Order: sequence, then C-alpha cells, then structure tokens
Amino acid sequence: MDNQPKNQISKKGLRVWRLYGIIQTTVLLLLAVGASILTYYLEGPGWLYGIYAAIPILFGFLFIYLFPKIRWQRWRYEVREQEIELQHGLFIVKRTLVPMVRVQHVDTEQGPILRKYDLAEISISTAATTHTIPALITAEADELRARISVLARVAEDDV
Amino acid sequence: MSEKRYKLHPVSAFINFVKGLKELIIPFVVIFGVNIFRDGGVSAMFTGGWIELLPVLIGGVVLLFLLIAGIIKWKRFVYWFEDGELRIEYGLFVKKKRYIPFDRIQSLNYTEGIFHRPFGLVKVKVETAGSGKMGEAEAELTAISREDADRIETEMEAAKRGFREPASAVEHPSEEQAEIPEEKKDARMVYRMNMRSLLILATTSGGIGVVLSAVAVFFSQFSELIPYDAIYEEVMVLWRFGALIVALLVFIGLAIAWVISVILTVLANYQFTIYTDEDHIYITRGLLEKKRVSVPFKRIQGVQVSQNPLRELFGYATVTVESAGGSIGDKDEKIRLFPLVKKKDMIPIVAELFPETNWTPEMTKAPKRSLRFFYRLDFLWMIPLIGVLSYFFFPLGLLSLLIVPIVLALAVWQHRTMGYALIGKQLTMEFRGISKHTFFMMKKRIQAIEVTQSYFQRRKDVASIQATIKSGMLGATARIDHMDRQDGTRILEWYEPSKQKLAAHEKGQPELSG
Repeated sequence: MDNQPKNQISKKGLRVWRLYGIIQTTVLLLLAVGASILTYYLEGPGWLYGIYAAIPILFGFLFIYLFPKIRWQRWRYEVREQEIELQHGLFIVKRTLVPMVRVQHVDTEQGPILRKYDLAEISISTAATTHTIPALITAEADELRARISVLARVAEDDV
Repeated sequence: MSEKRYKLHPVSAFINFVKGLKELIIPFVVIFGVNIFRDGGVSAMFTGGWIELLPVLIGGVVLLFLLIAGIIKWKRFVYWFEDGELRIEYGLFVKKKRYIPFDRIQSLNYTEGIFHRPFGLVKVKVETAGSGKMGEAEAELTAISREDADRIETEMEAAKRGFREPASAVEHPSEEQAEIPEEKKDARMVYRMNMRSLLILATTSGGIGVVLSAVAVFFSQFSELIPYDAIYEEVMVLWRFGALIVALLVFIGLAIAWVISVILTVLANYQFTIYTDEDHIYITRGLLEKKRVSVPFKRIQGVQVSQNPLRELFGYATVTVESAGGSIGDKDEKIRLFPLVKKKDMIPIVAELFPETNWTPEMTKAPKRSLRFFYRLDFLWMIPLIGVLSYFFFPLGLLSLLIVPIVLALAVWQHRTMGYALIGKQLTMEFRGISKHTFFMMKKRIQAIEVTQSYFQRRKDVASIQATIKSGMLGATARIDHMDRQDGTRILEWYEPSKQKLAAHEKGQPELSG
C-alpha cells in the first residue's frame, strides 16, 4: 500500500529467522533420515527416498531462504509522536495503527537466541490488543520502550 | 472513628445458608443416590442400625454447619463510608478488610431475588473499573434495604463531586432523605418493552431453530418412508411406527425444552425498562428476580445492533452496549440495551441516549469486484464434499449440488451488506455472517485499526479493515472484508492522530523515529 512506515527491523533479525529455519529443517532432516532407514529395513519402494530428500530441501528453501527474506523486507514500523504504525505479513500484509493515547504499557523481551544476537522484541499493549515488533537491537528496543512510554504519557486524549 | 457502621439485613444469613446448600446439592445427591440403588433403598438407611444412619447424620451436621456459617458471615459483615471510600470488613478467624474508593466504583447493580422481595431488600454488586487484574476489589452486599442502597449511591455521588467531608452523610441525614426521591425522578424512563415484543423475543431466541429442525427431522422421517412402503410392508409398518414414536418423542422433548426457554426468557426480561439520567443508563428487568444494571456513559465503548435473518425480515433488532471493565466471566459483560426492538422504534431512543452518534449513516459498500472473494474459498470445501457425496450415494448424492446456490446466495448477501461510514468522529461498520451486525464506534474508543491485504486481494486492489474496541476485559472486533483499498487508506488516515493535528503542515513534519 501507499507510503509505508519508515523503519525496518534489524538486519540481524533476518539472521535469527534463518537460524530458526535451519533448526526446523535439521529436525525435519533427522526425521527424513529415520524414515529412510526404516524404509531400507522394511524394503519399501525406491521412490520414497526421493520424497524424503525433496521435503527437507523444499522446506529448507522456503523457511531458510524465501520466507525470512519476504518477512524481513515487509516488516516496517514507525513510532511517531501521536501514533505507532506497523506493517508485516508474509502472504497477508497487515497494516496496524495504534494511537499513542491508547498505549497502556510497553514490554521488551529477550530469549536465549535473541540475546546471543543482542536483539530484543518489544510488545505494545493497549486496553484490548497487543502488538509485537520482533528483533530490534537491544539498546534500540530499550530506547524505543522508554520513548513510547514517555510519548504515551504525554499524548493527551483530546479527540 | 465516628462513622456509622452498617450491617446487612438478617435475611442475609438465610440467603448465605441457601447459597451454601446449593453448592452442596451434588454431593448430597451422590450420597443419597448411591443409597437408593442399594438393597432396600433409602428406607434401609433408617432401619439398618447406626452405621446406616451415618450419611444422614453427616448430612445433618453439614446442614447445621452451613446454617451457623451463614449466621456468622452475616454477623461479622460490616460496611461504612470513610474518606471517600466504601469500606467493608468481614470474616471470623481471618478478618478481611476491603476499601473501595468511590471514584473507582463503576456501577452498582441491584438484584432482587425471591427472598429479597418480602422485605423490600436488594442485593448490591459493586463493580469497579477493573485494571485488568483478577480479583480486583469487587464487593457484594448480600441483602440491604432500598434506603441503604440509595445511601451508598448518594455517598458515591457526593464523593465523586468532590465533597469529601467525611461526616457529611451522618451530619445531614434529613437532607439526604430529601435527595433520594429527587434522584429517582431524575432518572427518566426512555423505554419499556411491551408484552408483544417480549413474546416475540422469547419465541424467536435460538429455541425456534431447535423446533424447526425437529419439524424437519419429523417430516424427513415421514416422507422417506413412503417409497419403501410397498416392499417391506410388514417390517416397515413396524419400523415406521417405531421411527414415528422416536421422532415424536424427540419433537415433544424439544418442544418442552423450547417452552421452558420461552418461560425463562419471559421471566428474565419481564418489564424490561431503560432509565437514564445525566451520566448513567439503568436497565431493570425480571419478574421473580428483579435486576437492575447501571452503565455509566463514560464506560460505553460502542454500540452493536444485530439482526438475525428472521428478525431482520420483520424489522426487529437486538442492541448491545460494549462496556469497558466489569468482571471476568460475567454474563452481563455485554449489556443488552434492547433484547428485541423494532428498528424504527429503536432509533429515536438511541438517538436520545447518544445524541452525538448518527444512527442512520450512508454506507459505503464493498466494490463489485470483491464479490468473488465471498464465495471463492467456499469452493475449497464444497467441491470435495459434493464429489464424495455424489460418488458414493450416486443419485441422491447429487442433491448436494443444491448447497452451491445457497452458498452463492449467502455470499451475494454478505457482499451486499458489507459497508462502512465515516461521519465526523464516528466509524460505523456493517457486516454479515448470517446475522447482520452493525457496529457504531467513536474514534476515541477505538484501540487499534488494522488493514490487511492478502496476495489475491492485492491483485484486485481490495483490503480488509478491522477495528478493535475494548469490551469487558477483552476486546471486541468489527471487521469488514474485501473493501476497496482506498477505503482502507481513508479509514487509516481518518484514525491517524497526527494526520488531523498537523493536517496543514503535514509534509514538514519533523522526523521522530529512530
């Protein structure tokens, strides 16, 4: 849609998503190896091996390469004085607008993998909804959290 | 302190007892139920020596205990007003104190049960503007007199207006007495449901579907039997007879359930009346148990008008008010402003209650090109279903093709209904699953707006728009699908605070984001 929000999330976020993809693909690969061994001992038909090979490759391509790339390119956010605007989505692009006045609290969160990459995700809660920006540099996330909470306090309800 | 402490009415003790009894009814049924199926039934319990009497003894002790507990509970319960707070103290071994500031009290809801009626008492439920935490101060006064309830209200009003002299209530009791009738007059009646509407409500609320399906089952049983009649006559006569009995029994059972639901609905909504004063709406209803719910205008987040197809046909609608706060799991979270009302009668009343809202806005409808989105996905389940049915039940299975026009008709209907209107600070959204819903929302009550576009929607330049408001502890979402993308942009721009503030020098806006 027209004029997208300005900021992108950290390039490292893309790496983290790729890492998630690698982990998932590895699990799938192990399953495929297990199935191959089983097929070998049970003397199953040969074409099954082809399927076992194809699934992890396709999965890896999608979840390590393609999807993180699209997701990362699409993820945009912008925190302005009066509102927060988010855009994300893989197949379905979602554009969200949250006025500062409605923001009730802001959280940052960091799992082990995110910590390793010095990243954090930030969740913005209103009275009825929660919105998350994944993968921001920790310092940036902290600063953003502080800024949103200041802006949310300042923004007065004059509508 | 000099504040007068008030007690509940003695009937509370009895009500506590009955309430405790209600909770124990299942264990009791189990104890006695088990005994009934033993040799000799219940009577064996009384003839078989003291061991057999044990359950009865235990039951008796429990009853006595409940009675005493009920009395103690009433004895220890006091409430009073101090420092602009409603203070409650109760408990025997563990003394509990609960202080609720008056300005945090959202509403006082009254209920008059059958035990309250003879003494002119009410049960008062104090609802606070929950800050999202469970177990937030919320109190229930089991039974107090009307005057006491009014006193709480006047105290509350006084505290909210800022007169916080702690002893005001005690010092000028005569003034207060004079105030009460005045206040009653203040709240004027805006609507009373007539018997006709009530009966229509009772007979068309959900239960009717059950009955219709029962009739359908009944007739399908009946007609399907006809072709086979000649072949297996003897067997079939018997079987048909059996089927007929079963169908009849099912039908009678459902009919009884329906009659019960009708009676319950009538009892619960008897004399449904709406009153209003400057800052509240009051709803009273009920025959055996009279309920009064009050909703502060300040807490109202939005209004929803719903019409199922049957009611739509006759111009009837249900109106619910989305109110913030309230307690989790409370059935009255969504407050029904009108359980059932003629739409044309409703509009002047809601216009009076909410003068700043436009109740008959001109809707912008979904574009023609978006029609396909309303049925396209349905083919995903329809085609396999029809295929399977037609294949396995060859001639009859083809009848399943009939669902195609039905689904298409519904899609067209949904597409026709979908629409929105932006007027001043008000957003109205209208959409349909099967029932038609219209959400009336003010901009300052909307928590977030989302515009989504799938790959296919992007190609046709359409988008879905959803607005979330707070309702109870959670949110309520109105969503209109497959609107023109321009409409999405328009709504986002309308909603964006800085767009309207800096509309003049929008482009020169300083960059704030990091």
